[in-house]
Formats: sequence, C-alpha cells, structure tokens
Amino acid sequence: MIAIQDLTFTYKNGKTPALQDICLSVPSGGFLGIIGPAGAGKTTLLRAITGVIPHHYTGDFYGSVHVNGMDTVDTSLDRLSGITGMVFQDVESQIIFPTVEDEILYGLENFGVPREEIPLRISEALHKVGIPDLLERSIASLSGGQRQKVAIASILALKPQVLVLDEPTGELDPGSSRQIFTILKELNEEGVTIVLVEQKIMLLCEFAKDLAVLDGGHVVLQGETRKVLTQVEKLQSVGVNCPRVTTLSHLLTERIGRQQPVCVNLDEAERMVRGLMK
Amino acid sequence: MNKLFQYVPGNSLIHRLNPVTKIALTVVICAAAFITDHLLFLVCLLAIDLLIGLIAGVAGRTWSIFRGLVKIAAFLFLLQVLLTRAGNPIFWIITDHGLLTAGKVVLRLIVVCMPLTLVLAVTRISDLTNAMVQVLHVPYPYAFTVSTAIRFIPQFLEEMSGIMEAQTARGVAFDQAKGFKKFSMILPLCAPLLISSVRRTDQMAVAAEARGFHLRTRASAYKQYGFSTGDLLTAVFCILLLAAAILL
Ligand SMILES: Nc1ncnc2c1ncn2[C@@H]1O[C@H](COP(=O)(O)OP(=O)(O)OP(=O)(O)O)[C@@H](O)[C@H]1O
Ligand SMILES: [Mg+2]
Repeated sequence: MIAIQDLTFTYKNGKTPALQDICLSVPSGGFLGIIGPAGAGKTTLLRAITGVIPHHYTGDFYGSVHVNGMDTVDTSLDRLSGITGMVFQDVESQIIFPTVEDEILYGLENFGVPREEIPLRISEALHKVGIPDLLERSIASLSGGQRQKVAIASILALKPQVLVLDEPTGELDPGSSRQIFTILKELNEEGVTIVLVEQKIMLLCEFAKDLAVLDGGHVVLQGETRKVLTQVEKLQSVGVNCPRVTTLSHLLTERIGRQQPVCVNLDEAERMVRGLMK
Repeated sequence: MNKLFQYVPGNSLIHRLNPVTKIALTVVICAAAFITDHLLFLVCLLAIDLLIGLIAGVAGRTWSIFRGLVKIAAFLFLLQVLLTRAGNPIFWIITDHGLLTAGKVVLRLIVVCMPLTLVLAVTRISDLTNAMVQVLHVPYPYAFTVSTAIRFIPQFLEEMSGIMEAQTARGVAFDQAKGFKKFSMILPLCAPLLISSVRRTDQMAVAAEARGFHLRTRASAYKQYGFSTGDLLTAVFCILLLAAAILL
C-alpha cells in the first residue's frame, strides 16, 4: 500500500535533510507505529506519505514514495487525499472551522459524499470517538482533548483507505487514548492501512503490527513490533523508553546471563519468571 | 471585546433570513447612509439598526456595539466641531455648520458600523461563505479567505491578551499606562503575533488542501440556501429604503 524508497528530503529553508535514505513499506491492511525523539523527522515522514511533501512543503526530494501504486510526486494532492486521511499533530492548525458540524461537513462536502449519506457519516464518526453530543458546539468551547477527538472524527468520517495519524492522543487521558487505539484496531481489521506516530510506547506495543524507530532523519530500527522491542539497548540509545516489563525482563536475563526473548507485557513476564524459578 | 464578532445562536426572523439577504440589507443601509444628507434620516437609519438587533434577539450585543461606537464617535465629534471654521459662530469657536456636519459624520459612522458587526452576530460564518458561493457565485477560495480572515479577528485579540498577560506576569505594567504610552507598549507585541498567525495560516492551508479544498464546487455545500417570504419582504424593504434615501 505504501512503498518508500531511498527517500531523502530537505525542507526548502532547512540546512540538513529532515529525512535520509528512508526505505519503508507498509502492506495493505498494515499497522505501522513510528516512534523517535523530538525532531527525528516523524512528522516529516507522515507528510511525505500523505503527499503534502512535496506538494505543499517544497524542498529537495530524492527517492520515491508510492501510495496505492501512485507516485506521490506525479499525483495531485487532491487524488492522494482521496485515499489518505491525516490527523495532524497540532490540533489547533487542523481545525479550520468554528463549529464541530462545519469541521466534519467540510471534507464530506468536498469529496462529494452523497447528500443522503452525510448525516449518517457524521453521527457514525462522532459516536466512534465518543462525542455524539458535541455536534452543535463551537470549537472555542471545547477542551483540548475534545478538540482532538473532533479532528479525528473529521478524518474518520471520510473513510480513507490509509489513515495517517500524528500523535493523535497527545491531548487525551489514558482512557480516551486506549479508546482511540481500539477504534484504530477495528478499522485496521476492516482493512484500513494505518500509520501512526505515538510516544506512548505501551499502546504501540499492544496495537501496532510493525514498528519503525526514527532518529535524526534515519530509520534506525524497523520490523515486527516484538522483534524491534528486543533491541533494548539500541532503543535506549535513541532515547526511546521501553515499557518497564521489557526493560526489567531484559535486565534480568542479562544479569543471570541467559539468552531469552524479552517480554512485552505482564503475562509474558510472569511466565518467564515462573519458568526461571523452576 | 473578542466576543464582539462571535455568532449568537438563535432562531429569530433575522437569523432565518438567507445570508445573502442579510448582506444585501447591510449594504443597503450603508449605501443609504452615504446617499442621504438629512440628519433626521440618519437618525431613522440608526433606529432601524437598533430595531434589527432587537428583532434578532441580540439586544445585549447590539447595545455593547452601540456603546463602543458612541465612545469613538464622541471623540470624532469633538474633533470635527473644533476644526470646522465655516458657518455662523454659536459659542466660542463652535459654528452651527460645524455641529451639523459633525453630527452627520458621526451618525453615519455608527449607522454603517452597526449592521456590519450585527450581521456576524446573527449569521454563522460558514453559512455566509456557502451562501455567497451558492447564490452569488463567488469563487470558493475568495469566500473562504474572507470568512477565515473575519474568524481570525477574535483569535488574534485572544492571543494578544494572552501575550499581554504573559508580559504582565513578567512585570510589564500595561494597566498603568494610558493612551499613547500604552499604544507604544503594545506595538512591539505585533511582531510575534504576526509571525504566529502567518505560521498558523500556512498550516491551515495544508489542512484545507489535505481535505479536498480544490475539489469543492458551487454545488458542494450540504446545506441549501433558498429564499423565503421573509427574504422577499426584506428585499422590498431594501428597495424602499434606498428609494427614500435617493428621493428625500
Ligand atoms: N516546515 C518546516 N520547514 C523547515 N524545517 C522543518 C519544517 N518542519 C520541520 N522541520 C525540521 O525538520 C526536522 C524534523 O522535524 P519533524 O517535525 O518531522 O520532527 P518530529 O519527529 O515530528 O518531532 P516532534 O516529536 O517534536 O513532533 C526538524 O529539524 C525540524 O526543524
Ligand atoms: Mg512531529
């Protein structure tokens, strides 16, 4: 679904490349989590996937990005955005309209969703993120978390084939964050391809099928989530804090000098400790 | 202050008018104010402004707009009266001609500014945009730009007061300064404000483009903006008003 080959990108007013020699691919129906320190280029990578790089943010673009077989450089942003929906990192700049209803209507109207289908799409999207009662409210009267949910709902309503989210739970409480991830998982099971930047590693471990770790514009690690998590030292060297179970189980196996895969959740840790005590 | 441009939800006769009708009414009132040369007619127009506010159920807003305008008007009135030399002196350097022209200028100002702000209180900006596109065939990018600019005004003011609060917390005494001094203290704040709003606009453009901005056509809007009896009556009223302004 998404194929990135040797992508190197430097923003027009940037001195060093924000992304360097990126090779990544996400199959149709994949769920890729991206993590990395501030300024690693995570947002830039998502922009390249959605096509706003190079269509809106210009600069030196080498390599290629294909989405659904289309080269993002040759395809218009309008066509690309019919396939890919993006939830921005900064909610304030994603929301364009003063009321919730207008915000959600906007995309539906533009992409020509049939008139009779629109009310259903709106209520579905709002129900999914758990804010059906906010439809008539003005954005100014909402909390940060509510705004984030509106932003997510406005993209979900469009039913994109590829969903790209940049730290969608940054303003949310743990309960709501989990709720959003559960929705994403459901969509993913329905066949939607998901790419998401997230700092809450526990959630990533649990939901993402694959993981890519970015640092300084490079992909330093990528692969199946569990495989990536076993590289505890490498993760820590780029400042990604592994879940505590992972770190602890890793420390434990190292101390006792045994080769054993790391654990990613409590159940596994329990099983390992029991196994060791036998 | 930043509530001045915000929409007041409601279902009054005025709220339900087609947004284009409301704009037409606004334009007609402004035109009438500039065409006429009668003080009394201007007073009538002012009464109409106030009446519209009353019918729309936004009396509070109307009053606060009116009060704000009167403050500015009072200052202008004084200036005009003191600077006009023509006419017969009544008292000290004040002439009858001066009083009359000053009165007209000031009334005109109030009459013109009131409906411009009132229309925003009784119309949702998105309805304004969509109706302009649908009924008047204004290209969407233009309508979008104008409506976004209008929507930015309160946000701009909010950010401004945010910065001032931050500065006050660092010991800058905005509240003790008056007049020109205060103005010169606020002026340097405009640079960061401008930068942040340019950045915001750019990101907003990305957000708009990423959701099919260029795909939008005149038929895209979900809501339809038809004309009702109320619109017809308002149109008749507009014509009468304009005729009166020209003939009287
Ligand atoms: N519009 C832009 N113009 C120029 N340079 C930019 C622009 N946006 C980002 N950069 C630069 O590109 C690099 C990567 O930024 P990016 O926003 O992709 O990081 P990030 O991993 O998303 O960080 P964060 O976790 O803080 O969101 C940074 O050095 C940043 O300064
Ligand atoms: Mg980012």
